[in-house]
Amino acid sequence: MQKFISMTVVLAAVLSLVPCSPAGAQGAPGPAAVSARDDWKAEFEAICAGTQDSAAMTSDELKNLIDRCDKLRSRIEKLDETPRKVYLKRLQMCRDLYAFVLEYKEKK
Amino acid sequence: MPLLKTVLIAAAILLPAAWTNAWDVPRPSEYGKVIIRSSPGGTALAPVRFDHWLHRALYTCRLCHVDIGFAMEENTTGITADTNVKGFHCGSCHNGTRLHGGKKIFASCSLNAKPEEGTRCSRCHSVGKKVQKEYDYATFTEKLPQDRMTDLIDWEKAEANGLVHPADNLPGVSLQRPSLNAQKDFALTSRSAWMPDIIFSHKKHVMWNGCEVCHPDIFPSSKKGTVKYSMFDIAAGRYCGLCHGRVAFPLNQCERCHAKPVQ
Repeated sequence: MQKFISMTVVLAAVLSLVPCSPAGAQGAPGPAAVSARDDWKAEFEAICAGTQDSAAMTSDELKNLIDRCDKLRSRIEKLDETPRKVYLKRLQMCRDLYAFVLEYKEKK
Repeated sequence: MPLLKTVLIAAAILLPAAWTNAWDVPRPSEYGKVIIRSSPGGTALAPVRFDHWLHRALYTCRLCHVDIGFAMEENTTGITADTNVKGFHCGSCHNGTRLHGGKKIFASCSLNAKPEEGTRCSRCHSVGKKVQKEYDYATFTEKLPQDRMTDLIDWEKAEANGLVHPADNLPGVSLQRPSLNAQKDFALTSRSAWMPDIIFSHKKHVMWNGCEVCHPDIFPSSKKGTVKYSMFDIAAGRYCGLCHGRVAFPLNQCERCHAKPVQ
């Protein structure tokens, strides 16, 4: 019994010293991979949740959001057909509104 | 010159006809009806009849036209069984699991529908069929205030009186937004001297629509007064006429827009 316990302790110690292998990522996607895959959605939400406040934003804030929309567009274009169709339309509505408000402010 | 004469005669005949049609108000149960046809190569099922009166009592315009992404023009959204099954478009709510009033909302589509599911398909794909709908217009709207002239539901009053509570957030679909500070109401000059000016209420419009429904698609000009539009444009379904006369109150309720007292 004593021998078994000491072997278990040694094995645990050895395993704890082995660095996390990148090979681990080759199986099912870990939380980090899933997170990276869904990052576009978090970015979409962060950008488009601001439409209600667009009238109160500065020109620089609006330009920044438009720029983020354009960058996100290229990521959404790589999605499967269905989410691509839906989210491109939703993103376009956000972008168009920000561009509209920016134009309004600049003409004022 | 003879060509000009022909054009003028044709315009004199056709314009009043188009004008008259735009002012005809359909029966209340038909008002806001949208027929969604399948795209070429799409399903062989009957077209879908979508009734605005049922959905607008439960959800704001923005929830469907912004958050879910339904286009404002008929048959341009690209709804398919696939988008519905994957939880987009109609499938955002009609997925067989989402609840409304404690009751599951039926699933909209199946990719491999069995013959016994035909009744469910017919709940939406109902054009040209005798389908017993779960919600009947007369029963559903009997307690809602109606316009005396047209018998259409006065949705603004219905909400103000607490008779309908359109939801503005669909968990998992809508974005978390801060509450909206509406812009001030403003007056639009009427193009006819005898007609009172229009008081446009941002508050009334943003409450249901948000900003993106109208700007910039329907009202693209960012400078007030730049675009001149007339009742002819509106009657043809442009500008205010994209909603008013189709889903929102009709064009014959002049005083609801032309509300500024004549000086």
